[in-house]
Amino acid sequence: MAFSIIGDMFLVLLQMICVVMVVAYLITRTASFTRVLDGLVTWKSQAVLTLLFGALSIYGTESGITILGATANVRDLGPMVGGLACGPVVGLGAGLIGAAYRFSLGGFTAVPCATATVLAGLFGGLIFLAVGRKFIGMHGAVLFAVGMESFHMGITLLLCRPFDEALEVVEEVAFPMIIANATGVFLFALIIGNLIAERQTKAERDTYLSELERKKAELRIAHDIQMSFLPDRLPEVPGFELAALSLPAKEVGGDFYDAIPLPGGRTALVIADVSGKGVPAALFMALSRTVLRANALVPRSAREAIREANMLIAEDAKSGMFVTLFYAVADPAKKTLTYVNAGHNPPLVFRSGGGRPVGLKGTGIILGVMPEADYGEETISLESGDLVLLYTDGVTEAINPGEEQFGEERLIETVTGCRDLLPGEIVDRIRDAVTEFSGDEPQFDDLTLMVLRVV
Amino acid sequence: MSGHVEITERRAGTVDIIVVKGRLDAGSSEKAEERINKLLDAGGRSLLVNLCDLDYISSSGLRVLLAALKRLKKDGGALRIACAQPQILEVFTMAGFHRIFSLAPDEAAALAGFTAGP
Repeated sequence: MAFSIIGDMFLVLLQMICVVMVVAYLITRTASFTRVLDGLVTWKSQAVLTLLFGALSIYGTESGITILGATANVRDLGPMVGGLACGPVVGLGAGLIGAAYRFSLGGFTAVPCATATVLAGLFGGLIFLAVGRKFIGMHGAVLFAVGMESFHMGITLLLCRPFDEALEVVEEVAFPMIIANATGVFLFALIIGNLIAERQTKAERDTYLSELERKKAELRIAHDIQMSFLPDRLPEVPGFELAALSLPAKEVGGDFYDAIPLPGGRTALVIADVSGKGVPAALFMALSRTVLRANALVPRSAREAIREANMLIAEDAKSGMFVTLFYAVADPAKKTLTYVNAGHNPPLVFRSGGGRPVGLKGTGIILGVMPEADYGEETISLESGDLVLLYTDGVTEAINPGEEQFGEERLIETVTGCRDLLPGEIVDRIRDAVTEFSGDEPQFDDLTLMVLRVV
Repeated sequence: MSGHVEITERRAGTVDIIVVKGRLDAGSSEKAEERINKLLDAGGRSLLVNLCDLDYISSSGLRVLLAALKRLKKDGGALRIACAQPQILEVFTMAGFHRIFSLAPDEAAALAGFTAGP
């Protein structure tokens, strides 16, 4: 007989636990509950939660099993969790609802049971406040449930008369009630804990994604700046054929090229590489290109133009920014190329007669480093069919999966193998050769090329 | 990605010695820059960069050295470079760096340079 009562009791408790689990899941997924987790407490959400936890308390009374007129129940569960997770208003409100319902049922334990339910909500809410307006966590919650139910038994013994009857009831229901309520709180705590962890992960993922988005946007901006400062189309260069290409890397560097028509049918050619990457490099490129254009158009020698441009750029150069730059004025009437090389990879001159190309070596320091720097200029004479290749180190320093560099030798071979093609085709051939060489290796630096041929 | 670089630090009196081995290119420069900045943040005012075993330097490597030099100059410090190999010197010369950096054939000579002043 005793076994069957206890067995029944556990069956009923098990049934309750299943209901509690579903209710816990549903309550924690309401907008009101997540708002409370976010610390946004409104009267409306508190009212909704009070009603929900209050209803759970009524269910706790109704689902109980009656022993000698007293009921082993989980009435205190709703108010406890409401208080622990949502604060004293919800806890106390739910407690009052549950208590009112219990009181209406009467019975000789009505007063202590109703009192305990109100206090369960209130204490839960006070704990919520005490730990800094948040859920105390699983261990604390379960401990509280055990303590609260023991207290519940205590006031039953204290307030109910005759004492013998009260003692009998308490002896019967104390253990199952403590276990049932602790289990219920445990389930709630588990689900709330999961929810908090889930939301935290989501928040972290959102931060990560927005960071990624910001980086992508920055790269796009850098790319757009760089592209907008490259010539849409090269001008006609009298007496020469000219082609150019610039392939920005993913983390854009600051390569640029330019062809500026000058008086007297001459043309200024520019190829440059700004140190650094991203938006700072792109902005520095824009500055350098503009300064250079402005200085190229003032009638004076190439070296004076570069000297002046360097002075202006150096004033603006921050944190070690610099530009390697090759500047040349092609004069079709005199068939000459007058150049200043400010620390740029020597462009290669392939003579029409064949033979190894000659490098146009440096005539001064990179731009942006020494405001008062002086630059030399050199002039070479050109013949019909001569080819000048200007490039940035993104070409020769392109790397294959074996970490070998493309290098100057391969570049020379590539050009020698197709030097009779049109400049535009030569540019394409070089690009293809580099792309093929790199294979799956990502392009690490901007790759810029210019080919000039004397007609 | 390329960038096999090995960076070690030592101190000789008040001079911070930073030894850069391998390749200083787009892939590895950031690492070098961080290390140097850390030294300078800690108050280092005399920096000796030992390039005895540096095989290759790209423009991003040059930028790191230049940024360090500019920072030190602003704070009244000094940067000296010891024993750059021929291929490194060639890049320095191309960029015009030999005109702004104090280059010494070996570490001892570079160290002596600090006590002698600029």
